[in-house]
Amino acid sequence: MGDLLGFVLSGLVSGALYALLATGLVLSSSASGLFNFAHGATAYLCALAFYELHSGFGWPAVPTALLLVLAVAPGLGWALDRLMFRKLAKVGETAQIVATIGLLVALPAAGRWAVELLERAGAPVLPAENQFGLPGVGPSPAVSWQPLDGVGIDSDQLITWIATALAAVALWVLMRHTRLGLRLRAAVDDRTLTELRGISADRLSSIAWMLSSGLAGLAGVLATPLLGLSAHDYTLFLFVSATAAVLGRFLSVPLAFAGGLGLGVLQNLVAGYASFTDDLTGFRTAVPFLILFAGLVVLTRRGRAAGTAAAVPPPVDYLAGRGRGRRRGAWVVAAVLLGAAFYTVTTPFWSGILAQGLAIGIVFMSFTVVTGLGAMVSLAQATFVTAAALVAGLLMSHGWPFAAAAAAGTALAALLGAVAALAALRLGGRALALATLALAFLADQVLFQLGWLRNGDTGWEIPRPVAGPVDLGDDRALGLALVLLSALAVAALTWLRGSRWGRAMLAVRSAPEAAAASGVSVVRTKLLLFTVSAGLAGFGGVLYASYNTRVTATDFTAMTGLVWLAVVVAAGVRRPQFAVVAGLVFAVVPHLMTQYVTESAHLPVILFGLAGLALANDPDGYCAALPSRRAARRAATGPGEPQGPSAKGEPEPKAGPVPRAEPVPEPGPEPGGVPSPRPPAPAIGGGLAEAAPALELGGVHAGYGGAPVLHGVDLVVRGGEALVLLGPNGAGKSTLCRVAAGLLRPAAGLVRVRGGDATRDTAVARARRGVRLAPEGRGIFAGLSIDENLALQLTEPDDRDAVYARFPALAARRTVLAGSLSGGEQQLLALAPLLQRPPAVLVADEPSLGLAPRVVDEVFGLLAELRSHGTALLLVEEKAAEVLGIADTVAYLAQGEIAWSGPRAEVDRDRLADAYLGTGARR
Amino acid sequence: MFRPLRVVVAAASALLLATACNSASSGGTAASSVRGVTADTIKVGGIVSMTTASGYSKKDTDLGARARYDRANAEGGINGRRIEYLGAEDDGQDPAKNLAAARKLVQRDQVFAVSPMSSVTFAGADFLDAQKVPTVGWGTLPSFCGPAHIYGFNGCLVPMPGGTLNQTWPESLAAVLGGARGKSVALIAGDNDAGKFGIRTFTQGFKAAGFQVPYAKAVVPATSMPSDWSAYTKEILRSGPGGGAPDAVVSVMQTPYNIGLFTALKRSGYKGVLSDPTDYDPGLLAKDATKQALDGVHVLLQFQPFESDSPAMRQFKDDIRKAAGGKDVPLNMHMMTGYMSADLFLAIAARAGKDLTVDSFQKAADGFSDTGTLVGDRAEPRGKKESFGCGALVRLKDGRYEVAVPFKCYPPIPFA
Repeated sequence: MGDLLGFVLSGLVSGALYALLATGLVLSSSASGLFNFAHGATAYLCALAFYELHSGFGWPAVPTALLLVLAVAPGLGWALDRLMFRKLAKVGETAQIVATIGLLVALPAAGRWAVELLERAGAPVLPAENQFGLPGVGPSPAVSWQPLDGVGIDSDQLITWIATALAAVALWVLMRHTRLGLRLRAAVDDRTLTELRGISADRLSSIAWMLSSGLAGLAGVLATPLLGLSAHDYTLFLFVSATAAVLGRFLSVPLAFAGGLGLGVLQNLVAGYASFTDDLTGFRTAVPFLILFAGLVVLTRRGRAAGTAAAVPPPVDYLAGRGRGRRRGAWVVAAVLLGAAFYTVTTPFWSGILAQGLAIGIVFMSFTVVTGLGAMVSLAQATFVTAAALVAGLLMSHGWPFAAAAAAGTALAALLGAVAALAALRLGGRALALATLALAFLADQVLFQLGWLRNGDTGWEIPRPVAGPVDLGDDRALGLALVLLSALAVAALTWLRGSRWGRAMLAVRSAPEAAAASGVSVVRTKLLLFTVSAGLAGFGGVLYASYNTRVTATDFTAMTGLVWLAVVVAAGVRRPQFAVVAGLVFAVVPHLMTQYVTESAHLPVILFGLAGLALANDPDGYCAALPSRRAARRAATGPGEPQGPSAKGEPEPKAGPVPRAEPVPEPGPEPGGVPSPRPPAPAIGGGLAEAAPALELGGVHAGYGGAPVLHGVDLVVRGGEALVLLGPNGAGKSTLCRVAAGLLRPAAGLVRVRGGDATRDTAVARARRGVRLAPEGRGIFAGLSIDENLALQLTEPDDRDAVYARFPALAARRTVLAGSLSGGEQQLLALAPLLQRPPAVLVADEPSLGLAPRVVDEVFGLLAELRSHGTALLLVEEKAAEVLGIADTVAYLAQGEIAWSGPRAEVDRDRLADAYLGTGARR
Repeated sequence: MFRPLRVVVAAASALLLATACNSASSGGTAASSVRGVTADTIKVGGIVSMTTASGYSKKDTDLGARARYDRANAEGGINGRRIEYLGAEDDGQDPAKNLAAARKLVQRDQVFAVSPMSSVTFAGADFLDAQKVPTVGWGTLPSFCGPAHIYGFNGCLVPMPGGTLNQTWPESLAAVLGGARGKSVALIAGDNDAGKFGIRTFTQGFKAAGFQVPYAKAVVPATSMPSDWSAYTKEILRSGPGGGAPDAVVSVMQTPYNIGLFTALKRSGYKGVLSDPTDYDPGLLAKDATKQALDGVHVLLQFQPFESDSPAMRQFKDDIRKAAGGKDVPLNMHMMTGYMSADLFLAIAARAGKDLTVDSFQKAADGFSDTGTLVGDRAEPRGKKESFGCGALVRLKDGRYEVAVPFKCYPPIPFA
């Protein structure tokens, strides 16, 4: 029993650090949707800074720690968010993962470089080497107590517990009892809706990054006595704590926190009691990664399982439609030149380096398959390489010829790839990336520890093949052979992409459900992707090992796989040729750097890490950057681009007499207009007789990624009146709402709010001008309670009390999660705060959708009340029946155009039928 | 097949054929003179892990080597030739960089020899051996055991099948405990293949010396250090005869692990002997935490302790001070590694005579032996199969290392 208590208590120490890191991971991931691989590097940087400032400069411990945790680390988080992550949020998950992997190596190198520079400048810094027994915040050496028999704790442990508990309480107070915390939770719950409420989600994500970095900094400072100054250890620690973040599903801070604590305890218990595993070398080492893998497979929701890193459709091919000569010519010439160079200009040294680059290029091509074609991030490629090379070496030591051994190794790697594919069937995006990383660590720590496979530290000799007169023992001959093999592999992969299987892969990547529905087997396709990729990696691995003439189990570790991914994606994964370029760059550039640029080992690493930044601008990688930019420019200025309806030969709406959805008919084209109770409005831009309309759309064209939806819509809504927009499914109603709310910027035309030009507004700016969108479905935060939903908009308690007085049903359940309310109650909750503080404009997208008739009446009653407060209402409905009751003006939208508009009185059955059947669209 | 591809294949096959003949005749491009040796210089390079992600650095190896070469040059060089030491390439513990460094030194810098080579990886070994580059370094890797041109400065430290085991540690611990009879030792290592191998060899060694070995396990997670050691200490403390504590606990792990383990053992009231092979680093004395954690620990070292007062050690300290620009720098194991790697190279090269070639160097190495150096009695080719078998135990006490068992050479036993 005493044992158990001791294990639990001391397990809570690493548990506390896991909890801090996991919490930070959850915060940053919920703020910007990415898994921050560099989180551990941030912790390391703070540990390094603490050591230098405290031990080097002699600053006092506690103030230094506070400065780092409360100012420096959050500042770093803020800067990273502003410089990188905000931009990267728009370019897809692969680029994000790669950028953080780049940071993972760049940040520690930057820290060490800074120390190096300071040292040169004569500052009293200490060398940034790993050291042990570094002082933490508390006394050094730590004071220890033994409160119970067999249970010992020391001051460092105690400080870790207390600081973690304080951080947990502070975080809880911040999240649960402050306005900022409420907004943060709202943004996690529904980012778009937060913006529609006029709250900048970007700023919130900056704050989440600052908090996250601050927690990493705290973990770093606390872990200094435990982990020393090894960036590698901090990163490993981070991967373990990712398990806790997975437990919290990357969303729940309390769950992640508890998961971190539990993980530390569990690890300790396994160490204490799992003596049955003594015979399985590496099992104890691998425990955290077993938990990580199992946690990912069991806990990840299937929602995004499709897995595919992306809702990113395959990028547009900038060479589409070009001839073969244009597509391949330059590459063929380059290959021939490179092959010839081996025997003409290159020195033996450079021949070796180039051959090495070509060999690694074949490994890199495996990323072209799994990440480029399949849009899945695999961090286990190094495992396939090691496995194939070890097996090939083992077989060659038994006298197998090179070709047969290489084939066997390749086959084994492909088999391992199939195992990884099983994870991919269930997981996608960052979960898949983490799962493959866990597999890679498991392989390193268990599989490659098998004595008969690894042959100790000696590894296996892989002599270079000799076939007849061709002796690849010569670097030049090997280089030439590799040029040929690379060309073959490129051709095969290009063919694969264009084949039936390639199309199936693209289909599965873009829309797995749709692919399955059209008869493409998702399972088979993913298996194929992973086996081909792993087999290619394995084959490349055998070649690479034969360049080295030997392979050992530690040549390519899981961390190597991380760096490889970053190198390849930075070059581009779209075409296999880019992988060859990446391989050559990877081999050649470091030598050029040391020769011509700098002797410092750190600077190249920093530059390499920052290559991820470039992805924000050129997500296709540097190989394709120039041509794809040129192609984009051509497309933008070219004549073929459909900019508006005119491209389809339809008449420009502005050219003719187009009906306007105004409360009064314009003098002219609409004869027989019924006089309105209000004075006639001047035409757009004319006169100053009246207050400007609350919301005004003029000639709005809008659509999504080249698919136009709205073809020149004009609308005017004034304060205190209701414009009802009717139209069939697909007419563009929701798109119009999105334009009105600022979620979608029109391609042409203008938007005015209360007379001011608001065309280029973001959703936040539009909301701040007084335009509110009640989106389709319910405009509430399902994960927040009723009270919190109200508090987001009504900061004054008095206002909230007024709402409760008016809606006792809400008052009775103020702590209930809004998501558990009925549809009608949710709609009431969405509208209630507006009644208290009426906005200038309310755009309601299908406010009656899915509600019972009695509730619909109530909702329309509330809308009518809003109108009487002076709010301009733009109500969008598919079904006309009830909504016409409160309409002042009615407009029909059909096929992206206003088909008819006029006062409520003129609406009749025929007009409705015309509008819905589309016959009235173009009279 | 696509047409352009056909062109590539055709062109490349032609090239390949043309070059196949070429490659057979290549390799013999070396000029008549010996690579890296001129009338009055010998060019030597080094490979050392200096900057790594784990923060572990052996960069003082370079300083040690420089100190030794400087003295050789000050004394007039080797058979009239000055040593032109290019300094050490940084391999960052990366196998690819290690090989690239070896290739650079040989193919671009045209060195005669590589010394020192000290890293956790030696991917360049096959290349250096194939290119006939005499290489001297720290023999902790299997590549130092066997290849014709590669030498460990204190022998090959990896016991090979059919080879021998170095008994320095068991014998000197026996001296500390007043004999091995009836004494028990617990052995602990990391949970990986290397740890398992260490446990196997030392179990045999300690048993051969007469110890009981009631606990010998490779169980400590090898990549993430435990923050809590109670799980291990409890088992160890109950493993001795009659469920008590063993007389000695021997750790075959790295410094941070040892600090954690030893601290936990002491807190549990353990009073026996603690020992490990890695913590002889005067840098550890600079920090109170490590000084306290390692207090009383017996550390194995395979060279003369810096505390000893032999002429060779005085010379060593003097050379290091000069190479460091006249400053008194804290001494460490890596300086010794570099210094003695350089020393072994110089000793063999001197024996090779005025006509220095790879062949003459190899011939001089075969049958080379000397005695009384900082690493004891050296002999080749014995050093390619086993360690020179000399060592000492120092004990950390009150913030200072003191010699517990003086430096001595022990006969090895056959490795089963």
